[in-house]
Amino acid sequence: MPEDHQDEGWKDNLRDSKNDCRYNRIMTHLSDDNFESFLSHISASELIDLRNLNFIDPYGMVGILEAGRFYHSGNVKKKLLLPESEDVLKYLERMDFFDYASCYFCLSPGKTELPDKFLRSSNSAVLLEITPIEKSDDIHFIVGKVKKRAHAILERHLFYDERAINGFIVALSEVCQNIIEHSENTGLAGIQKYHFRKINKNVVKISVMDLGIGFKESLSERVAVKDDLDAIEKALLHGVSRHEDRGRGHGLAGVRRFVNQWKGKLSIRSGTAKFSIIPDWGWGMERENNLLYFPGAQINIMLPEV
Amino acid sequence: MKTYDLYKLLKEELKNGSSDLVTRPSGQVIRERIETDIRREGDRAVIALDFSNIGIIDYSCADEIAAKLISRLLSNEYGDKYILLKGLNDNQKENIEVALERKDLAAVAEMRDGQRVLIGNLNNYLKETLELVLKKDRITAKDISEIMKLGANTSGTRLLNLHKKRLVRRVEGVRNGGRVWVYEKI
Repeated sequence: MPEDHQDEGWKDNLRDSKNDCRYNRIMTHLSDDNFESFLSHISASELIDLRNLNFIDPYGMVGILEAGRFYHSGNVKKKLLLPESEDVLKYLERMDFFDYASCYFCLSPGKTELPDKFLRSSNSAVLLEITPIEKSDDIHFIVGKVKKRAHAILERHLFYDERAINGFIVALSEVCQNIIEHSENTGLAGIQKYHFRKINKNVVKISVMDLGIGFKESLSERVAVKDDLDAIEKALLHGVSRHEDRGRGHGLAGVRRFVNQWKGKLSIRSGTAKFSIIPDWGWGMERENNLLYFPGAQINIMLPEV
Repeated sequence: MKTYDLYKLLKEELKNGSSDLVTRPSGQVIRERIETDIRREGDRAVIALDFSNIGIIDYSCADEIAAKLISRLLSNEYGDKYILLKGLNDNQKENIEVALERKDLAAVAEMRDGQRVLIGNLNNYLKETLELVLKKDRITAKDISEIMKLGANTSGTRLLNLHKKRLVRRVEGVRNGGRVWVYEKI
């Protein structure tokens, strides 16, 4: 698995492309940091050029797939130029990325053209391959799978104890349930451990996304919400739920508590807004508004070793 | 005491091979099964929900199973019954406690090491009284008055409140030739 690269993720490059654009912005990494640029790129182009990609995290990967799924639902199948980096291709393969990407994109080169050497190795830092979330049983499957791998990854690399591992799995379950309970759609999840150079620590990244109605529409069935940002804050910080029952709304609050306790970073993007809880070691803006509209919710959790 | 093995119920009801109590829909299925079984039990039965073979329980499932069952028990939906949460590990206890506190509820839990503890929200004075009941196994208002140096009315009220919250069981007894209420740990 490649380590992260801390450039801006994009390089200007003059190229004489067969793909009719003389001036391209070349993507070198894709993560939650530059997802907005990626969305602008994909919304404006029929071609997504990942050839120069040398780093991608679960957020980038699930983001590509959800964007592809979104356009595919409108009968648009965009072309995805796959990374040239063997490391990145191996990682994508290990995460089962191609199983889904081939449904939503025209891949170039095609999946069958990928060399055998990209077949997965058993020595993997993958905690959860890209997994669809469509029904309650999928969450049982996810929890079961992560439990089996938790000790090898969370205990060994993040130095989590039994209590922290339990908290991690419960938080994951609650984040995934958000899709089933609120989105009125389906989603995808992926989790990976890697070494994060910026803080020189191992981290685990959880990414969960859906193409549903988003926080604003979900909450506005019951409470007044000003905009997407207001809806995310109400749900995350004040435990507001679309359901009236007093027992509702503490799933995300529990996730927030867990992330705070283990000094992680949590961000929720929905519609045109993004709200982040940023730890001491983190960066970025707490509140972002007027982003490019994207349906559903995109949740990112990053947990460092303790 | 009737023991409901939640792992067995999970296997019978969900049939997905999971040993974890996760998701609200799963919790709802398990709760409905428990409710059906509880209604068949006789009056004053103590039902122990055994978590010994369960792995994870998340907040949603804890709310759907533990908090809703306790809440409905207090509204007398199941008749004169009691619920004990049994075989909990620390993580399960913590997550169930969050669900109970959210609804201002309390339950008695027996941990995996056999220790009985209170989880959820309860006034301090009721907590003290409950601790005494758990220590003594059975107690009367007169005993409480003597031990805690309280007036007879106060002791009686405390025990009655614990009983209303289904945290102790009330049975009739005879002391010194007179009939009294005896409060037992569930």
